[in-house]
Amino acid sequence: MNGRTLADHAVDYGKYIGADYVEARFIGSVNENYFCRNGKFLSIQKKPTRGMGIRVLKDGEMGFGSVDRLKEDEVESRIESIVKMCELTETEGSIDFSEEKIVEDSWEVPVKIPFEDISKDEKREFIKSLDKDIKKCGIGKFPFRSKLKNRILFFHTNSLEKYIVTSDGSRVNSEESFISLYSILNAKSGDDKEQRMIGLGSCSGWEWIEEGNLREKIIEQSKKLVNTVEESQNIKIDEEFDVIVGPEVSGIMAHENVGHPSEADRILGREEAQAGGSFYKRLLGIDDEKGKIRIDEQNYKIGSETISVVDDPTIEGSPGFYLYDDECVKAKKRYLIKNGELNELLLNREFAERFNTNSNAAARSAGYSREPIPRMSNTFFEPGNYSKEGLVEDVDKGVLIESFTEWNIDDRRFHSKYVGLESYLIEDGEVTNKMVKRPSLEMTTPALLKSIDAVSKDYEERMNFCGKSDPMQPVKVSTGGPYLRMRNIRVG
Amino acid sequence: MIGERYDHELLKLAVETAMKAGAHQAIAKLVEKKNHQIRFSNSSIDVNKEWVSYHLDVFLSKKPTFSLTGKIDTVTIQDPTSDKIKSILPKQVNHLDSLPKIKFYWGMEEDTADSYPSLDLYDPGIERFHNKAPKLVKTTINSAEEAGAEDVAGVLHSKAKKIGLLTSYGNGGVYKTSHCRQTVRSFCDEESSGQSVVVSKNLSDIEKKFKKAGQRSGNLARRCTEADQGKPGSYDLIMSPTVGANVLGNLLNGANPITMLGGMSCLKGKMNESIGPNELSVIDDPLIEKGMKSRPFDDEGRRSEKTALIDKGEFINMIHNTSTANLWRFLKLIKLKFWKRPTSTSNSELGQIGMTGTEENPRTLLPSPSNYRFKAGSYSLEEMISSSTKPTIYLTSNWYTRFTNMREGEFSTVPRDAMFLIKDGEIKKPLRDLRLKGNLLDMCEKIEAIGEDLKQIKWWEVDTPTIIPHIKVKDCKFTKAKS
Repeated sequence: MNGRTLADHAVDYGKYIGADYVEARFIGSVNENYFCRNGKFLSIQKKPTRGMGIRVLKDGEMGFGSVDRLKEDEVESRIESIVKMCELTETEGSIDFSEEKIVEDSWEVPVKIPFEDISKDEKREFIKSLDKDIKKCGIGKFPFRSKLKNRILFFHTNSLEKYIVTSDGSRVNSEESFISLYSILNAKSGDDKEQRMIGLGSCSGWEWIEEGNLREKIIEQSKKLVNTVEESQNIKIDEEFDVIVGPEVSGIMAHENVGHPSEADRILGREEAQAGGSFYKRLLGIDDEKGKIRIDEQNYKIGSETISVVDDPTIEGSPGFYLYDDECVKAKKRYLIKNGELNELLLNREFAERFNTNSNAAARSAGYSREPIPRMSNTFFEPGNYSKEGLVEDVDKGVLIESFTEWNIDDRRFHSKYVGLESYLIEDGEVTNKMVKRPSLEMTTPALLKSIDAVSKDYEERMNFCGKSDPMQPVKVSTGGPYLRMRNIRVG
Repeated sequence: MIGERYDHELLKLAVETAMKAGAHQAIAKLVEKKNHQIRFSNSSIDVNKEWVSYHLDVFLSKKPTFSLTGKIDTVTIQDPTSDKIKSILPKQVNHLDSLPKIKFYWGMEEDTADSYPSLDLYDPGIERFHNKAPKLVKTTINSAEEAGAEDVAGVLHSKAKKIGLLTSYGNGGVYKTSHCRQTVRSFCDEESSGQSVVVSKNLSDIEKKFKKAGQRSGNLARRCTEADQGKPGSYDLIMSPTVGANVLGNLLNGANPITMLGGMSCLKGKMNESIGPNELSVIDDPLIEKGMKSRPFDDEGRRSEKTALIDKGEFINMIHNTSTANLWRFLKLIKLKFWKRPTSTSNSELGQIGMTGTEENPRTLLPSPSNYRFKAGSYSLEEMISSSTKPTIYLTSNWYTRFTNMREGEFSTVPRDAMFLIKDGEIKKPLRDLRLKGNLLDMCEKIEAIGEDLKQIKWWEVDTPTIIPHIKVKDCKFTKAKS
């Protein structure tokens, strides 16, 4: 039996032994990693894997199991085991899934140049030449001494085929392809040191290297890092300032302050011992945690009217691109916040049922051995009408924060902190060349969202891996966005 | 039962096939593992999970006699059989020729190990444990609720593994290991929570341990209701073992050549310098039987050994595998430091770089810590509290530690769960909504008291199992949201 027929068999067998719902997900995947430090490789690896994840519902309890031995007897034994575990739970289970449209479909990531068409030598040479270009950005007066002394490049490609089948009758095939570069750059000038992590990636083939202008983007960021370490000064800011944040910062804000609290499983507590809860629970006035939740039909104003925050998996080429989620639900654009009001949550079928609605296709898993749970895809502030210059010209005293270093947020996603890296003082409507060393924004989510009065039309992409669940499930997401102008902020 | 699929003969076949195909060095590692997990929240079970895997990792190297470095690759064969080994490995060895020399690969253990320590790392009961796990989860929830929790969340994870290893130098052996761990987090309301962690290599008194954990988390949640907004400023700090394992674990992760090379260690340049008080001693200990990552040998087949990382406040060692030790020796040699000859500390592991955690990510040979083990001090928690004359904050849990610059050790972390203000030697009131901001080296230097109560910590925010007591640090900075 191949992976697909075995997945079909898993569903039939699960139903046969009494499961109320069965879902089987076969994944065949090839990962290729290049890990390079200062132009020298620490490892070059390629790993093909195949496996299947199986999820069942039985008497209101949920079981999940996975196998890497793709044989009938192994699959049957795993299903028997997880069904038995559900029975052993001995509680009044109440887990159910929302009714969704039955689909039979397939989709693929458009690829012009498959990874296997590029030789390892070519990939290696590309990474080495990229490192050389980055190194050059740090060379000043002394030709053999780069200020970018320590450069880590982690280059990754992944190709996978996936087949998901459910006992409801849905079947979805997909062929996916992902390419990314994650870099950690250390810059030093005199006694000053700065560190920069940059993630760029795309669901596409090798063509992204050229079409995504990867080299130009990394070189630009490397030059800016060198400038930052050389020019940044401790400038005391002890009054309220206007702050303009760049795409990278607005992206992480959209992800942390809006995306995570919108995950329905967190709101209802399923992640409370791991990735945490959500302040939306109180905002929505949720008190009935066991039964079906009804969100009152009132407006939940959470930010200024200027902002809308979107999570959209359907953007071709984006890091979080997909057309069906891991529960066979058709992907769509989701407005998490529309004109400052909470509009939609991130739902899989389990939590759509709890919220008495339909799934909006947010179920994702990080691999065959992980269960699908509500996740983000490409989360960003929807671009507005302003140019970057237009945002700046109306600022008397302010800071422009183009990139960030340290950041964190509490587990209800209410108290957040972002420390700027490449940051400039704004005076009288102009960005000056005075660089501010590590300005810090420590704000609650509502204060942050309400402070935004203008959004740029420019948009820039960033890629990251988002962590959630136990065992950990890193999934690729977009964390880019437009420029945002925030008024009257206390900067630390 | 674990070991049903395990076929030790495959190790020999893998090494022989690799060497016959032209590899100069090979390591075959056969792993069969079973994981069970129950996740619960709102005081009821959310999901039962079981994931099973059986795979063979084969590390291959071609290292010419007069070359310092070599070509390397690691291949993973899922559900390994003789046929798969015979078909895949020769191709993979040939494939080595097309790879460049890896400048960071400086060899593996070549001497034959005399013997390996006999460690009791396996409790067969853990394999059957999932059958009674739902009842134990209920026991935990009940004890948390009896202590005052309104609802309870957590995870109970059990794991059994059989590991076999053989290298082309004849080193290796076989052992079984198992553990279970539980995190329980109790809530009285959305912002009043307490957490407790249990890590155990065996099932002795497990019900009692879980009950106690439930009770502790429930107690903490109850005690921190009606917490006041904390005032930013400078306080002395008492870190629970959970907090210490995360914060100081980040410092210890820098005692690794890979993080040093990557510019991600604030310990760079601190070797043989005092970085903490005399009372601070930490070892990497793969031999302690209660350690979750204990093992008789590393992935090069070297006999496991304890490595002192910090001794009486002095940073004295990094962990190494053979490759990084040889590289470091070479680097010392070219700096004319002939007397410095680092050797492997038996910390070699076929580990993952980068996006980690799932089966799909490739592995390579890296130095990796086993269990961090702090030396117990002389203070009880009560003594730490009663001797706190200056305003002091007691943190019971934290998360989201992130760095401004890992090389400098500048970070902040977010307190999560119960946090208390201590004044005049007494816990005065619970606090909320503060953030700890600091520098790892600075905090290490300011350690004022080390507790006597060692506890093993491993949870979502702590990767390396860490056996650590309460630790008190003076003059730490706390901030809060400005708007």
